[in-house]
Amino acid sequence: MEGGGGETMDEMGGGGGGAGGNRAGGGGGTGAIAEQIDVESYASLYTGHTKVARLHFIADYCNVRSVELEALRMAFEEIKKGENTGLFKECVEKINGRLGPSHTLDQEWIDMVERRAAQRQEKLETELNGYKTNLIKESIRMGYNDLGDFHYGRGDLQHAFKCYVRTRDYCTTSKHIISMCLNVILVSIELGHFVHVSNYVSKADQTPDVQDPVVVAKLKCAAGLAYLESKKYKLAARKFVDTNFELGNNYIDVIAQQDVAVYGGLCALASFDRAELKSKVIDNINFRNFLELMPEVRELIHDFYASRYASCLGYLQKLKPNLLLDIHLYDHVDTLYEQIRHRALIQYTNPFISVDLNTMASAFKTSVAGLEKELAALITENQIQARIDSHNKILYARHADQRNATFQRVLQTGSDLQRETKALLLRANLMRHDFVMKGGPKQQ
Amino acid sequence: MDSLDALVAQVQGFSGTDDLLHLFSLLKQSDELLHTHAPRLQYALSSLDPAKHSLGYLYLLEVQSSGTLSQEQSENFLALASTFLNVCIAEQICLAPEKFNMVCRRVKEQALQLQEPLRAILPLQAAIRKLQPSSEFLTAMHADFLQMCLLAKCYKASLSVLEDDIFEIDQKRTGLVPRDFLLYCYYGGMIHIGLKQFGKALEFFQHAITAPATVLNAITIAAYKKFVLVSLIQLGQFHDCFVQVPLFPKYTPPVVQRNLKSCVQDYVDLATSYVTRNIADVKGYITTHEDAFKSDNNLGLARQVIASLYKRNIQRLTQTYLTLSLQDIADNVQLDGPKEAELHILQMIQDGEIFARINQKDGMVSFQEDPEQYNTSAMTMRLNLEIHNIVRLAKKLTSVDEQVSCDQVYLSKIGRDRPRYETEDFDIVPQKMYTNL
Amino acid sequence: MAIPVNGSVAGPSGLSFSAVQEAIKAGLYADLANIIDTLELEVSAAGASKPQDWPYAIQILAHVFNHDLNSARFVWKRTPDAVKQSNPELVAAWKIVQCMWMHDHAGVYAALRAYSWASDVQQVVAAVGEDYSHGMLKLLSTAYSTVSVVDAAAFLGLSENDVVTFTSQQHGWVLDPATKMLTVMPMVAAATKKTDSSQLQNLTEYVFHLEH
Repeated sequence: MEGGGGETMDEMGGGGGGAGGNRAGGGGGTGAIAEQIDVESYASLYTGHTKVARLHFIADYCNVRSVELEALRMAFEEIKKGENTGLFKECVEKINGRLGPSHTLDQEWIDMVERRAAQRQEKLETELNGYKTNLIKESIRMGYNDLGDFHYGRGDLQHAFKCYVRTRDYCTTSKHIISMCLNVILVSIELGHFVHVSNYVSKADQTPDVQDPVVVAKLKCAAGLAYLESKKYKLAARKFVDTNFELGNNYIDVIAQQDVAVYGGLCALASFDRAELKSKVIDNINFRNFLELMPEVRELIHDFYASRYASCLGYLQKLKPNLLLDIHLYDHVDTLYEQIRHRALIQYTNPFISVDLNTMASAFKTSVAGLEKELAALITENQIQARIDSHNKILYARHADQRNATFQRVLQTGSDLQRETKALLLRANLMRHDFVMKGGPKQQ
Repeated sequence: MDSLDALVAQVQGFSGTDDLLHLFSLLKQSDELLHTHAPRLQYALSSLDPAKHSLGYLYLLEVQSSGTLSQEQSENFLALASTFLNVCIAEQICLAPEKFNMVCRRVKEQALQLQEPLRAILPLQAAIRKLQPSSEFLTAMHADFLQMCLLAKCYKASLSVLEDDIFEIDQKRTGLVPRDFLLYCYYGGMIHIGLKQFGKALEFFQHAITAPATVLNAITIAAYKKFVLVSLIQLGQFHDCFVQVPLFPKYTPPVVQRNLKSCVQDYVDLATSYVTRNIADVKGYITTHEDAFKSDNNLGLARQVIASLYKRNIQRLTQTYLTLSLQDIADNVQLDGPKEAELHILQMIQDGEIFARINQKDGMVSFQEDPEQYNTSAMTMRLNLEIHNIVRLAKKLTSVDEQVSCDQVYLSKIGRDRPRYETEDFDIVPQKMYTNL
Repeated sequence: MAIPVNGSVAGPSGLSFSAVQEAIKAGLYADLANIIDTLELEVSAAGASKPQDWPYAIQILAHVFNHDLNSARFVWKRTPDAVKQSNPELVAAWKIVQCMWMHDHAGVYAALRAYSWASDVQQVVAAVGEDYSHGMLKLLSTAYSTVSVVDAAAFLGLSENDVVTFTSQQHGWVLDPATKMLTVMPMVAAATKKTDSSQLQNLTEYVFHLEH
């Protein structure tokens, strides 16, 4: 079965649901059944470790056999270009013979790579030791760097991390520090250690003379990812929308330009107020460049701002299956969507004294009963100041009566004050007379 | 004339104001004498006038009531004590508060012995008034008095005493011990629960929990359990005072803060369940832990927690809806059907807890705002009263502040070892609030 | 507070309930509860047991009149079982409390009528009944916009025909014969808003306090 209705996408791994939609190209989803993800063009956006990781992620979560195998096939080819034999074994295991004899465990290749790697490791370590005895700072740094690169290539991220961090003591220029930071960040993102990511981003930010726009853009993206991971969507949004377009394809071993548009756009919708959305997203010429690469995201942001909620929600629904296959975003899709929907509901009701729930329900593609529940929740959280006339299906804005509220508060404050003052006086006297419950034999 | 007759004669002769201290010192030395002549005390008492020879009467009565009493002796003692407590001269008995307290405690004990707590209520109330220099003083009889009211199910009878604000704790003048204070708070809280004055109940329990202590006390634990339940009923929440927002002032004794929670896990768990606002969960929790609540005598209170959750859930709806069908209300707050929802709504309207009108024809309820406009003369009077009370309290605070500032002990203390009482011990209400009063 | 010296209330006939009777005669039903409760404490303190002619029913009804079902319940709870069994009037009064407690309005009116009360008790019962139906009318008119004739009749203790006549003539409610529903007219409560010069005096005092 290929592709299910949009709604079934909510349950990842629920079996039977299909993933669809062309991620890289312009949208083109027709009707309820989303197109299959175009794994090849998606993968072509990335290089290095992230390419394999993303392919594996798709294979694990797409629930469509053909897509899974396609992803694994490409991962297999990609891995074979490198030296990560562990990952190779893992990939072969996942393929499990389903791609024919050409994609099985190539023990010969493994042995060859491992032999070469062992030799290389020994050579690098000997060299490094030599540098250490001679105390040549720059050489030591390079030595650690090379060793870090080596471990990174082999997929030994812990050792790679240690080597890169070690270079810190031997950095002599800003450039060295930046490169050290970027290396640590790269490994940390892959390790999922986002605390390190933010630490090293701020280390790099504090380094003087960072002018290279590409470096600045990379750091913004890394910081954005760290915030995204810790669910600080507003901060994440600010980082992504501030990322300069010089980023280009320079960071595709971590993040593609399209990702900047998606991550930034969705986080902004979920967390920015109207004014911020206008000034930081819609009027942001730089970010517009990213959005051009993801026309659907651009359209849905404009729809949101122009209060065309049905269309906006439609785009979001269409994007969802692909986003759920995104290695960084999948865990946040539901929260972000919920927040965007809440913002839309709030924004929709804001200018009105009364709102017809039937009209509103159709604008949000939902039933009146469902809408009532959503609105009730938002009113309870005090996000919408209104009350629902469930009988006539109308929402009425509620205007707080300042005068009455003040009286209420005054009476409350007055009684609190009296209660607390009395407790204070009593307490003062207890202390004054040293009136303390003590242990030991019962006091009678 | 034997020695008892001599003593009686001295009591009769020296009960005037001028000789009272002399008599007091004589009485203090006659303990042994009185015990030796215990069988004749009844007769000796009859020759004294409790309204004139109060101090002597007190000493004799105390000895007469010591030991185990037969039912007849017990009846006799209560009759004498009841009259005595009513007519004795405050000035005289205040010389010997410990003796006075002992007699009062025996009044309580004997009333309990006879299973007639009702009998002790007025005598103990009279005793409190006699010993108190003013209504702001706590006495050792307060707790006993409240306990009698509770046992006799005469909750309202306690109000004349319970409504007095207590500020003064003075063991020299009243012979009070810390346990008396804890029990006063505990029983006071229980009576307020019985009268459904949950806000006041919380205050009393809070006093018990925050009372200075170096050990955790059973009364404190019992007070805390009720405190949790009443918090849920009254406030709809129970801030976990040790983790989240502090519900208690920070002066709560560390030993209490540290150890209390582990003693009352069932209650804390119930509170956690309550904040989910799910009736079924809360009901389920109370049912599965029924024995625990029952053994603490808190099952009734726990059931009121359930009732309060229904109300609270309905109140939330009034904040959200202008109109809602009875069926939807029933679904929302997990009631059995529209009829039951109607009963709940009606009850809440009657109690002034919500403002709404039921439309039986359409099965709808329309919720309204509080019609109070704060413009009636009744409201003005209430505001006036509140302001008046606050002004009075502020004046009292100023005078206490002056007293403390001049107190020798205090001055030497802050001079010598300031850290003994941190200033924050006294800093419940920021000083700023008073500068404007 | 005067406590009778031991012996003055020795026997059943020795205790005078004149204060109770006077309050009933003067129609001061609101004071009754306090008077009898105090008397109860005094009798107890004097060591006497309650005389046989103790006004149990009136004591319960007095609390009911004050809308204090809780206290009425406590009176019942501290009454000895022997008394409960031998005093049908007390049991009849208790039945009223039970019905009120359960919000069984029709039951309340039935219980009020179910016993042939002694004449002094009857006066209190009548007052309770009148107060109750007045309270129910007030509740109906604040809590309902439309109410069925059946329910209104139960709330007010009237027959269905009487309730329609009564509410439409006295309070302007409108009957919809098709649905047998009454459209309720809210009662307008008059609240005084006048202030007098004493308020000004108070205000002066507060300002004085604030400035000193």
